[in-house]
Amino acid sequence: MKKLKLNITVNGISHTLRIAPNLRLLDLLREELHLTGTKEGCGIGECGACTVILDGRAVNSCLILAGQCEGREITTIEGVTPEDGLNPLQQSFLDNGAVQCGFCTPGMILSATALLHHNSTPTEAEIREAISGNLCRCTGYTQIVEAIQAVADGSKE
Amino acid sequence: MIPFTLIRAESLQQALDFLSREGSNAKIIAGGTDLMVELRDLSPDAKGPDTILDITPVDEIRGIKDDGGTITVGALTPHREISTSPIILQAAPLLASACSTVGATQHRNIATIGGNVINGSPAADSVPALIALNAEAVFQSKSGERVSLLKDIYLKPYQTDIKDDEILTAIRFPHLPDGARSSYIKLGRRNALAISRMNVAVVLVIKDGKITEARISPGSTMPTPDRITVAEEIMIGEEPGEELFRRAGKAVSDEMINRSGRRWSTPYKEPVIAALTTRALWVAASEGV
Repeated sequence: MKKLKLNITVNGISHTLRIAPNLRLLDLLREELHLTGTKEGCGIGECGACTVILDGRAVNSCLILAGQCEGREITTIEGVTPEDGLNPLQQSFLDNGAVQCGFCTPGMILSATALLHHNSTPTEAEIREAISGNLCRCTGYTQIVEAIQAVADGSKE
Repeated sequence: MIPFTLIRAESLQQALDFLSREGSNAKIIAGGTDLMVELRDLSPDAKGPDTILDITPVDEIRGIKDDGGTITVGALTPHREISTSPIILQAAPLLASACSTVGATQHRNIATIGGNVINGSPAADSVPALIALNAEAVFQSKSGERVSLLKDIYLKPYQTDIKDDEILTAIRFPHLPDGARSSYIKLGRRNALAISRMNVAVVLVIKDGKITEARISPGSTMPTPDRITVAEEIMIGEEPGEELFRRAGKAVSDEMINRSGRRWSTPYKEPVIAALTTRALWVAASEGV
C-alpha cells in the first residue's frame, strides 16, 4: 500500500504525516499521535465513544478515513482540556456524578462541546438529541444531561 | 482493514476522469458511514475495492439551490444541512423531517444524501420523502449527464442502475403544489440512532374540502421504493376523514404484499404499515405543513 501524505491540524497543532490509506481517523489519533483519550467502542459508528470534533461538528472518528481529513481541523478530548485541571464542562461532569466507568466520557464531552459551540442555551431536548449518538451503560444519562445543563445555564461559569 | 489505494478528487472533472479509467475497480467514499462499516466487515483476505475515490473535497456538488420551480440538493450535502435548511423546511418539510431522523448527530454531520440514495437500503430514511417529492437523480460521467426519476434507479435492495463511470451529483425535485400538506413518520426500535423498521412519507393537496392530489411513499416495505398509486387514487375527490385514510392505509399494506409477497415479517408489517399510513395522512390533513 502506497503511503499517503496528509496535512491535518489536531488540537491546534499542524501535522504533516505519511499514513496508510486504510487508516481510520481514530487510528491516526490513537496510534500515530498517541492521543488515547479518544476511545474505540463498537467501531461501527453506533456508540459514539470515538467522537471528535471535525471542523466544528461532532463526528465518529471510526467512520472516517484519516486520508479524508486533508486540511481539516480536529479537536479531541486532549484539545479541550486545560494544562492545569479541567474545563467547566469537564468539572461539571464530576460535580454532577456524570462519570462512572468513564469510557463514554470523552465522546460525551465532545458531543456536548460541539452542541454548546453552536447553541449556548440548549433545551433539555436539544441536549438529549446532541448526545443521542453517545451510549453510556453506567449512568442512565440523567446526570450527564444535568452536567451539560449546569454549564449551559451558566451556573458553573 | 483490507488494503486499498485512496485517491482524493479535487474536482468533479478529476473524479469523472478517474472513474472513466478505473471505475470498475473503485468505490466512491463521501460521508463514509455505510462504506466504512462494509470495509470493516470484510475479512483481511477478502477481495475488496482496489481503490477508494474520496469525493469529499468536490464542493461543486454540495449545497441546496432553489430556482423558484425546482430545488436541487447536491449529492454531498449532509443530512444535518438538509434538515435545518430554510429552503427545505419551507418547500419540502417532509424531507427535512426525514433527514432529521437519520442516525445520530455524528452521522447527520457527515453522512450525505447522495450516499443515502445510492446505498440503496430499503430502510433509507430520505428516500421515501424524495419519492413523494417526485425527485429525479442526476448522474454525471465523462460522456455527459443522465437524469432519471429516482424511483427508476432502484433495481433491487442495495442495487441501483448507477454505472461504474458515473457519480450521482444531485437530487432535484419540483416545489410542492400550492396548498400541499405533507408528513413523514419513521418507526424505529428506539427514538434515536435506529434504522427504520418502516417509514412513510405522504403529500395531500386539499381544495374546497376535497382531496385533489395524494402521494403515498412507504419505506422498508417493498424491494424497491415507489409511490402507491392504488392507494392514492382512492382518495382523489373525497373529503379527508378517518375512514378514508383507513382504506388508503389498507390499500398500502395490500400493495406491499402484492409486491413483496408474504415474508416472515408480514404478520407484523401488514397492520403496522396500514396504521402508519393512516396516521401520516391524518397528520398531513390536520397539522401538516
